[in-house]
Amino acid sequence: MKMDLIVPRPAPTAAAGPSATAAPSPATTAAAEDRSTAFRPVQGGTEMQSGEKLLVEAYAAIWVILFVMVLLSWRRQRHLDDRMTTLAAAIDKARAAADVPADAAADKAGP
Amino acid sequence: MPAPSQTASGGARVSLADAAFQVLLVLAAICTVGTLQFIAFHTPTEATMGIVQKIFYFHVPAAYSMYVGAAACFVGSAGFLYDSRRGWDALARAGAEVAVAMGVIVLVTGPLWAAKAWGVYWTWDPRLTTSMLSVLLYVAYVVLRLFTGDGDAERKFAAALGVLGAANLPIIHFSVQKWGGNHPKVITSGGGGLQHPDMKIGLLLGFVSFTLIAVVLLWWRMRIDLASSRLADLEQEALELGIGED
Repeated sequence: MKMDLIVPRPAPTAAAGPSATAAPSPATTAAAEDRSTAFRPVQGGTEMQSGEKLLVEAYAAIWVILFVMVLLSWRRQRHLDDRMTTLAAAIDKARAAADVPADAAADKAGP
Repeated sequence: MPAPSQTASGGARVSLADAAFQVLLVLAAICTVGTLQFIAFHTPTEATMGIVQKIFYFHVPAAYSMYVGAAACFVGSAGFLYDSRRGWDALARAGAEVAVAMGVIVLVTGPLWAAKAWGVYWTWDPRLTTSMLSVLLYVAYVVLRLFTGDGDAERKFAAALGVLGAANLPIIHFSVQKWGGNHPKVITSGGGGLQHPDMKIGLLLGFVSFTLIAVVLLWWRMRIDLASSRLADLEQEALELGIGED
């Protein structure tokens, strides 16, 4: 597949800053047809993949998956712990409140 | 865990199980870092495929760990169908979640390796297809447990799925032997094997690391599930004592 490279360049203006007043580079002086460039793919599918990049992606994926699982477990554990602590404290308090009148009634009844 | 007949809050005791879990966690972390270091700096680059072959040292152990999770799910499900104890159900649920996590690792790392080795990310090779089918089965199990109630009927239905899901595991294993396809045989019967001692050590370390990671995750998820059941007991107790929400 042949692709022609077309790079639009703005016309220099007075407000364009210092770079607009610098000496023109050879690229800007060349005619449009001289700047014609083609992008061609490397022949062969496997050559298009960098082994190093794929390796890093694979290892990163492993860590992301494990991290997500650990994070979800940790959040669930924390939610459960908070809920259990609150509920257990409420139950202890309710039991203590229920025991006090019972003890007082037992004291009043006497031997 | 404190007895419910004592105070509900109990104490902040560190039990033997907690200590063992923490030791296992530290061991898994050390072993994983050591394995990474060994694979990065000691295992040689493979002659044909180049450095991308190093995915192998985690891809294969992750597949094995998926089997560990699936086996735990099968044992827990069968146990639950037999005697309906909450511990079996927790084991089955934890196993399915580990199988999904490890299965996703396999299904992500495999195609990244295939992109270099085969020139395509995915092909409907028997082993790839059966592996994906298995992961989807365990995803179905996890979704079922997340979005349905926690009643006895739902647990039994999930347990049946956990038992039936295991039927695909031997098919994954033997698919590479019995049917054609692209997936290579390296360490299974008929495979060419690893031709360098450091490659063998790297794979062995990968197996040890992933076994430890799988056991830690299984144990942790089981503890969470059992804590969840203890919370349900506390909520019932609170209801009987007339304690409202908050």
